[in-house]
Amino acid sequence: MPNLKDLKTRINSVKSTQKITSAMKMVAAAKLRRAQEAAESARPYSSRMTEVIAGLAAGANPQSAPALLVGRAAAKTHLLIIVSADRGLCGGFNGAITRAAREEIAQLEAAGKKVLIYIVGRKSGDALAGEIGDSLFERVEQVQGSDVAYGSAADIAARVLEGFEAGQFDAVSMLYNRFVNAITQTVTHQSLVPVEVAETQQGEDAAAGARLSYDYEPEEDELLAALLPRNIATQIFSALLESSAAELAARMTAMDNATRNAGDMIDRLTLVYNRTRQANITKELIEIISGAEAL
Amino acid sequence: MAETTRLELVTPARIMAGSDVEMVVIPGSEGLLGVLPRHAPLLANLARGAVEIYQGGKIVQRFLIDGGVADISPEKVILLAERAVELTSASAADLKARAEAASGDEADFLLAAAEAV
Repeated sequence: MPNLKDLKTRINSVKSTQKITSAMKMVAAAKLRRAQEAAESARPYSSRMTEVIAGLAAGANPQSAPALLVGRAAAKTHLLIIVSADRGLCGGFNGAITRAAREEIAQLEAAGKKVLIYIVGRKSGDALAGEIGDSLFERVEQVQGSDVAYGSAADIAARVLEGFEAGQFDAVSMLYNRFVNAITQTVTHQSLVPVEVAETQQGEDAAAGARLSYDYEPEEDELLAALLPRNIATQIFSALLESSAAELAARMTAMDNATRNAGDMIDRLTLVYNRTRQANITKELIEIISGAEAL
Repeated sequence: MAETTRLELVTPARIMAGSDVEMVVIPGSEGLLGVLPRHAPLLANLARGAVEIYQGGKIVQRFLIDGGVADISPEKVILLAERAVELTSASAADLKARAEAASGDEADFLLAAAEAV
């Protein structure tokens, strides 16, 4: 028979857990609104930037175009940027990224490429630390949250460009969780070098054709040289924003579930507690009655 | 009603302006560009400088932008700027205060904006 006092302690501890998870849920929900707004208001910039770049890429000569646009012919080393959260308690968020990263690394290695890893966010870094060893290129933390600064994306981009110029790697891609809505996040793989020209639909082909008649100021090469690094920073920035919003959304859902589970558990424990209490009372009554009868 | 062209000024953080304008002067890296409706398609690199929006022959709104790229087509002008501040409604003192709170390039840019008001 469970002890009444133990049950009481158990119920209280589950109750305080529930208070914590419900507070975390509320905090995540409040932050999510801001993060979501930030992610959504950044979309026009990155999508327009992508349009401009796609137009340029369509018109560029593959032989003379800058390596940042079309990549290097012999792509031997690949840099993979993995964006995860700094904190846990957000359901499958970090797990999904880590799993996708493992698959991606395995795939690249199977294709005979050397993989370098750029870790953004603490969680995936910790999970992968044992496996990646010396292929770790760089690691940054604390750049996400409800308030992502463009500066931190620019810093990451600068580091990536530096490595690229130095020939440490020939291609760059990025893995992050994209915010779809409050309950869905999808792991997204985006190639930064060579620039990912979205599979153009028929309609956009015409637009790309029209772009060929563009004038450039300054010359096309110079313009591209200025634009491509900026594009990388922009894409990283939007990935950070998306990932932050997705993290908060994942945490909100996870904490909502946890709160509900704690509620169920409290109900169950309370039932057991009351039964036990009743059983004890009955037992005492029987003892008293049978004692009185014996006299 | 004079002919107008669609102007959009977008920064990574948000859309700063979206309006139909008669003319806009933008700071190209090779010099100022006055863009009228039906301008030939042009991609231009931008330097730090003022974007001036003309309506009825007068400047109605000014922004300071910090580099970027302009995508000009006959019907519209899209300015992608890394940073932008509106100068028309801002006060120099306010921008200075923000500059002190910021650091690095951002502070530098806000100071320039305070001077340009």
